[in-house]
Amino acid sequence: MRGGGSALPRAGATAAVVVPLAALVAFPLFRLVQVAWQEGGGDLSGVLGADGLGTALRNTVVLAAGVTLAAVPLGVVLALVLRRSDLPGRAFWQATVLAPVVVPDFVLGYSWTQAYARAGFTDTLLGLSWAGVQGPLGVWLVLVVNASPLAYLVVAVGLAARAEPDLERAARVSGAGSATTLVTITLRLVFPAVAAAAVLVFVLTLGTFAIPQVLGAPAGFSTVTTRIYADLSIGGDPASFVEAVTLALLLVLVAAATVAPADSILGPRLRAARPADAQAAHPVPGRQTVRRAEAVVLGGYLAFSMCLPLAALALSSVTRALGVPPTPANWTLDSFRGVLTVRTLEALGRSLGLSVVAATLLVVLGGLVAVAERRRAGRATASLITLTLVLPGSTLAVALLIAYGRWLSGSLALILLAYLAKLWAFAHRPIAGALDRLPPAELYAARASGAGVLTAVRTVALRPLAPALLGAWLVCFLTALHEVTMSSLLYGPGSETLAVIVLNSSELGRIGPTAALSVVLTLLVAVPGILLWWASNRLRTRAG
Amino acid sequence: MPAEPALEVRDLVVAYGRTTALCGVSLSVGTAEVLALLGPSGSGKSTLLQAVAGFVVPSAGTVRLGGTTVAGNCRPVPPERRDLGVVFQNYALWPHLSALDTVAYPARRRGVGRPQARSEARAILERLRIAHLADRKPAELSGGEQQRVGLARALARRPAVYLFDEPTAHLDTHVRGVFLAELVARQREAGAAAVYATHDAEEALGLADRVALLSEGRLLQIGTPQQVYDEPVDLFAARLTGPASLIDAPDGGGTVLVRPGWARLGGPLEAEVRAVWFRGPHSDHLVAGPLGELLVREPGPPRHPVGARVGWTLLRSWPLPGPTG
Repeated sequence: MRGGGSALPRAGATAAVVVPLAALVAFPLFRLVQVAWQEGGGDLSGVLGADGLGTALRNTVVLAAGVTLAAVPLGVVLALVLRRSDLPGRAFWQATVLAPVVVPDFVLGYSWTQAYARAGFTDTLLGLSWAGVQGPLGVWLVLVVNASPLAYLVVAVGLAARAEPDLERAARVSGAGSATTLVTITLRLVFPAVAAAAVLVFVLTLGTFAIPQVLGAPAGFSTVTTRIYADLSIGGDPASFVEAVTLALLLVLVAAATVAPADSILGPRLRAARPADAQAAHPVPGRQTVRRAEAVVLGGYLAFSMCLPLAALALSSVTRALGVPPTPANWTLDSFRGVLTVRTLEALGRSLGLSVVAATLLVVLGGLVAVAERRRAGRATASLITLTLVLPGSTLAVALLIAYGRWLSGSLALILLAYLAKLWAFAHRPIAGALDRLPPAELYAARASGAGVLTAVRTVALRPLAPALLGAWLVCFLTALHEVTMSSLLYGPGSETLAVIVLNSSELGRIGPTAALSVVLTLLVAVPGILLWWASNRLRTRAG
Repeated sequence: MPAEPALEVRDLVVAYGRTTALCGVSLSVGTAEVLALLGPSGSGKSTLLQAVAGFVVPSAGTVRLGGTTVAGNCRPVPPERRDLGVVFQNYALWPHLSALDTVAYPARRRGVGRPQARSEARAILERLRIAHLADRKPAELSGGEQQRVGLARALARRPAVYLFDEPTAHLDTHVRGVFLAELVARQREAGAAAVYATHDAEEALGLADRVALLSEGRLLQIGTPQQVYDEPVDLFAARLTGPASLIDAPDGGGTVLVRPGWARLGGPLEAEVRAVWFRGPHSDHLVAGPLGELLVREPGPPRHPVGARVGWTLLRSWPLPGPTG
């Protein structure tokens, strides 16, 4: 609805966006740079040379590159199989491959140790274990599993926006077989989306924390984020603080060096959209045997990467002791009884409260940016908000600690500020997308029928926007609920979130309780996630 | 022994889940014949073309091309191995290829080397008088130019059957006529059969050797343009093919259908002019009398104002065999 609405609310929205953006992101980053310069004395090489920090940085970059090289092709294959073939049960598979999105990172990593490590599920049942699951290879593999749904989603959106089925059909009736069509048409059209997915996966892997911490740290494999965590949680001396600050700054510099050129090259190519009159079409039918083979491989991949680890986790949470067979005779709810303490319940309450408040504020902030970007000044602000998506959580947490730690250190308020800064783009994108799709003529018609600006928005725009608002709230709520990267750096006595309790429990080596807490956390995220997704779909259907 | 039709569809059924898009359609198209599929949106025209092209698998029935079964009692032949050229409603030009490379694409898939394929493509573009657009990509072409490139791509395939899926739907009126003339000329020149889907009666009747009327996935009627216009099987078919009025027959023989040109003003029957439309070369008068309301087309500008009492004469009529409600 570009051009719709009057200038006054949009000017107000721009002002209402710039102030929190400065407070949540710009000022803390400025303080981060200032402190890094003052405390480190500009001696970057000196800091990096100390105690394997250079190794951590190298590990981080190599890991991000390795995850990108595997997760993006996997995402492309998933997108092609699930969006471009007549695979039986496509809707089921499309929902199932997104499962890693609703399973907290930490839980996914931990579930792999329960499934494949020594004394894990496969070891107990079949005598098969993989020692490397806790080490760089395990970190890489689980991060690939974790990142592939994101790559799949970005490529699937690219397929829908740029490679409409008629373009592929035109190639087929021009004499190209399915493989030639894939190479000469589909992949060429979807290349900008694949490149964008690669940039996104690379940058998000740079800032990932939970999986390297759970699977890498016990084997001595450190990344920048786990090193920052070690510096701030275990260290405590001024040198550790300087290290953490320098690493946080380095992380954001590497992310910026990746994103800035990619955005300028890919941005214009990604904006080419599908024509408005393009219609959804059925995929060109393929051979039954190929489709069956695809279903078997897909099922095998999901069983290996998600189902078996989650089943192992659930069994660990109810099995009497480590190493005993997970048969019903050895089942007990002792682990659940053990973790359902007042401390856990308080943490649960804090997590839920924080997530609800954060999601609600984020929808308001996201909506304000979406309105503000209708004018030029607001568009620049919206671009900055989008960039916060790739700002590593560890960097933001350290920056906020420096900026506001004096007053808010160890408080829930500081964690809330971190959630707002990190997840703002999550709320903004769906709302902005829905506003773009809202035909301006509908608002004009309401205004021409005598409605004021606010009445027109309330009576005409709000209903079609409802699914996007609910979707944005849901994404923010669920992400905040299992967020651990920033919470683990910012919590203090009495402000632990549930995810922090789970992380601490794992570091204490308490397998049963950690598994029980992981199950609780997963159910907390997955059940409302599925219910709200269902409600959002219903709203969208009714609005459509 | 009569020659095999270029395309033969028998008892074709296509279902999308619980929705049946085509219910038992049978028709055939002879060599060098143009068959128009005329029907409203959702009548199954595009689905029929997609089943013929191999984009959807029929639930039942057969599709034969040049006597070879490509769908039905066999594993469906994939689209690239069917002897077809398709011109799409939304052009379906590949945004990363120039017009020249787009038209060279079918030859490349036949295994022709790039220089030769480009040379063939340039010749086709020249025949269509768009060689000057060879280096442009779709975003740099107008709608009419894009559709000509789409036609050139289909011609480059040198097929036995062309499928045109509402190719003029997105074209401006003034471009449409030129494109249609080009399309028919090239298709006749190639001696190929063509199936042309459209919802525009004027286009279908003016273009095709035969017209097939579709409604809700069923074949209502098939015949020459004159047959389907003059002798529609029911009121729906009548309204699909052009303006039609239903009046009581002057001889008391029930309800009859009257086309605008089948009556003229002046004569023994009395009526009052209810509305008048000036349409350039002719004018339409809506008149109402004891027999009912009907549209009368007269050459030149309107001859009577609204409200005038006029006489009229019925030249011919058609007793509708189907329901008239």
